[in-house]
Amino acid sequence: MQLIFNALIAGSLAALIAGGLSLVYGTLGVFNMALGQMVLFGGYITWFLHIQMEIPLLMSICGGALFGALLAWFTFEVFVNPFYKRHRFLPLVTTIALSMILDGLILIIFKSSPKGILQGLKNSVEIFGAIISTEQIALIAFTILILCSFAYVLHSTSIGRKIRAVVQHPQAAMSLGIRSPQLHRLIFISSGVLASFGGIFIGIDQNLSPVLGFPITIKAYAAIIAGGRGHFWGAIICAYLIALIEQLVVGIPLLPGGNYIPAGYQHSVALFFIIVFLIFKPTGLFCSRLRTA
Amino acid sequence: MPILSTNSLSLEINGQQILKEVSFSIEKGEIVGLIGPNGSGKTTLFNVLSGFLKHTDGKIDFEETDISEVSAPKRAQMGIGRVFQNFGIFREMTLEENVLVALESLPKEKRGEINNLKEKTKETLEFIGLANRAKEKASSLSGGQMRLLEIGRTLASGKELFLLDEPTAGVSPKMTNDVSSLIRELKDDGKTVMIIEHDLPFIAQICDRVFVLDVGSIVLEGDPQSVQHDVRLKEIYFGADPTN
Repeated sequence: MQLIFNALIAGSLAALIAGGLSLVYGTLGVFNMALGQMVLFGGYITWFLHIQMEIPLLMSICGGALFGALLAWFTFEVFVNPFYKRHRFLPLVTTIALSMILDGLILIIFKSSPKGILQGLKNSVEIFGAIISTEQIALIAFTILILCSFAYVLHSTSIGRKIRAVVQHPQAAMSLGIRSPQLHRLIFISSGVLASFGGIFIGIDQNLSPVLGFPITIKAYAAIIAGGRGHFWGAIICAYLIALIEQLVVGIPLLPGGNYIPAGYQHSVALFFIIVFLIFKPTGLFCSRLRTA
Repeated sequence: MPILSTNSLSLEINGQQILKEVSFSIEKGEIVGLIGPNGSGKTTLFNVLSGFLKHTDGKIDFEETDISEVSAPKRAQMGIGRVFQNFGIFREMTLEENVLVALESLPKEKRGEINNLKEKTKETLEFIGLANRAKEKASSLSGGQMRLLEIGRTLASGKELFLLDEPTAGVSPKMTNDVSSLIRELKDDGKTVMIIEHDLPFIAQICDRVFVLDVGSIVLEGDPQSVQHDVRLKEIYFGADPTN
């Protein structure tokens, strides 16, 4: 039961990040390799506002999310928009460059020591024999709330239908008069806000560390590849699935003699997902066919 | 007064001339066929007319306005509709959503003319005979039904010019008749249609005029019967007869 709760927590974090990213990948078809650093910046800014500036937590979270939106906007205008129409792989290179710049900035500004947004001991409760902190319960509830809000926007509003139209057939959407470039910008900024919430999630649940950026990016991409290009719910379900398998791989004795696989190998699950799906099911679990532009 | 006209329209990509000084004009209410061998530039011409590709030389006028510099979404809002060869429907959305999103994408003044978007959506689905499947995903439709949905959706969004890229491709013979009837209804409704097709009998049956495109240029033009019996058409598709 503890493993399932752990998977629920880790999956909620991955789902937040992968959900936004799936829309970006679905609409623009580009890789944002600076995603992990955008996640970290959201967390670090919240930490800075709350711990250093002593601003109340809720306002600090809003500040972190706002910074995430601005960083995503800047990234889109400078590192993505001028390049992705020339070739969709160009932003792969430009955002790798951005990730290096952001990594450097994180080290210079926030240093390498771990940073926690909430300090002191956390209250824990026991549910079905598993120990879970009240903060973790709040984070899971918050993730569900955010995802439900996104679901409402995507499925029940005009802007949501337009986003789904652009994801599914960009040329047909434009031929109906939908202005894809504006939607691309909006989607990219939304993914930045979700990424920031992911960073805030890490900062509240654990500690922020500069080395977390790359594994976060890989896990998010594994979820969207397994879920199917541009499939919002597919990415979210696969984020939870990857998190569950990660927990099971290191949480139950799989090696001879009742030994456990070292925890460091946890991150290889996401890479394994990417390799397996690209070879055997490139359309992902929830898309019936590869989209042709 | 023509609804659409091009003047010396040319497109060059990587030093290769894809379209060469294409000039034509289409009157309002006409159905015009565009035929030619594979690679002759038919879909490219549609992409240029829709605004997905920017021509390198020449001019496009739509309803007496030069639209050469106008973006694809803006051209759509002005009244140019496009039906794609590979089915331009949103497969993971319901039929109802497919039509509704088209209505919601209209410019404000045109959207204001529709009292109730949901009611208009229902009417559109009834018109194409798919009202009973309104809540189903578009991916569940057959090729012909997808085509009807795509044309019906374009019609509902008030387009004046329809660019149909192989509307009978992937459609059963029975559904081809339904598509053909729908295109005729567009004409009766005063709409203008330009069709790319390989099915010559279909073109002969439905079009007022035909253009033949070869290697990026319009090489033949006329009524369907005269074009169909023109010896040059055979040469364009199969090459010149070596015994002559």
